[in-house]
Amino acid sequence: MLLLRILLGGLLLAAGALKAGDPSSLAASIAAFRLLPAAIVGPLALALPYLELMLGAYLIVGLFTRVAATLAAFEFLIYAAAIASAVVRRIPAGCGCFGPKDTAIADWPHVAFDLALAAASGVVAYAAPGALAVDRVLRRV
Amino acid sequence: MNRRVLATLTTVAIAAIVAAAVVIYFRGPTHGSVQNASQSPVVGKAQKGKTAPQFEVATTAGYFDLSKTRKPVFLEVFATWCPHCQRETAVIDRLYAKYRNRVDFVAVSGSDTGMDGTSASSELDVLNWVRQFNVKYPVAYDPILNVASLYLQGGFPTIAIIGTNKKISDLDDGEITYGELDAALRSVLR
Repeated sequence: MLLLRILLGGLLLAAGALKAGDPSSLAASIAAFRLLPAAIVGPLALALPYLELMLGAYLIVGLFTRVAATLAAFEFLIYAAAIASAVVRRIPAGCGCFGPKDTAIADWPHVAFDLALAAASGVVAYAAPGALAVDRVLRRV
Repeated sequence: MNRRVLATLTTVAIAAIVAAAVVIYFRGPTHGSVQNASQSPVVGKAQKGKTAPQFEVATTAGYFDLSKTRKPVFLEVFATWCPHCQRETAVIDRLYAKYRNRVDFVAVSGSDTGMDGTSASSELDVLNWVRQFNVKYPVAYDPILNVASLYLQGGFPTIAIIGTNKKISDLDDGEITYGELDAALRSVLR
């Protein structure tokens, strides 16, 4: 469980770090899905990388593990739904999962990958906090 | 530091990130650059409802002369480096498959910069773009950017739909959905 938590946290940290430097490209990737109005796409592109970084860091150190893992599960479910909708509508949107250099096109394997990550996050949330977690230390205080 | 303090700090951090994003977007210099078109400095004289400016180009499917065609025309002005134009190719290919016998399709390059964003545009760059994105519709390289200077609306891609009466029935820039373009073509075919 510790390994799964660290893997998920590391994935979110990497995704957030790769997206953080280029909000315009991230906004273009989000806008390409044609699901959100521009007034939401812009702020979302600016905030999302830092929220992912926070979520990743919290999972790795095991702080508020259940809440963080549940939020991560919801995030991955939303990604899966957005990608699936793009595939169904035949919109050639880029996945944009790992920043502007990630040019992979949204497809069914990406949907399956995000669903698997959502399931893994759900398992982490269920078994929270797991070993080597700050939550365990806080319980003793 | 106990759990309650950490929870409060976390909430404050999340609120600060969201608030900063909203403020930067609506007050900062990035506002206005987040859109679904790549910016171009050109706004041509073409206008919706007005007569389409005359142009002629050599496309991958032969010579095209606006004044000679009797069909409605689907015109795209694109840049090979523009990600929105690259994505729009799939939309236009679907429309081309549906309307190719009833509408003349022509896409014309409108930037002096090549696909890598630094080199100069060229015939070869446009042909590489056609191959890379598996473009089926006729594409033209316009070295003097004549069509771009007439039709661009400030962003790539710019798409114009011209009726059989040579009036521009639709003119817009940015990524446009299949549904919108399909409706626009159906409208000029009525």
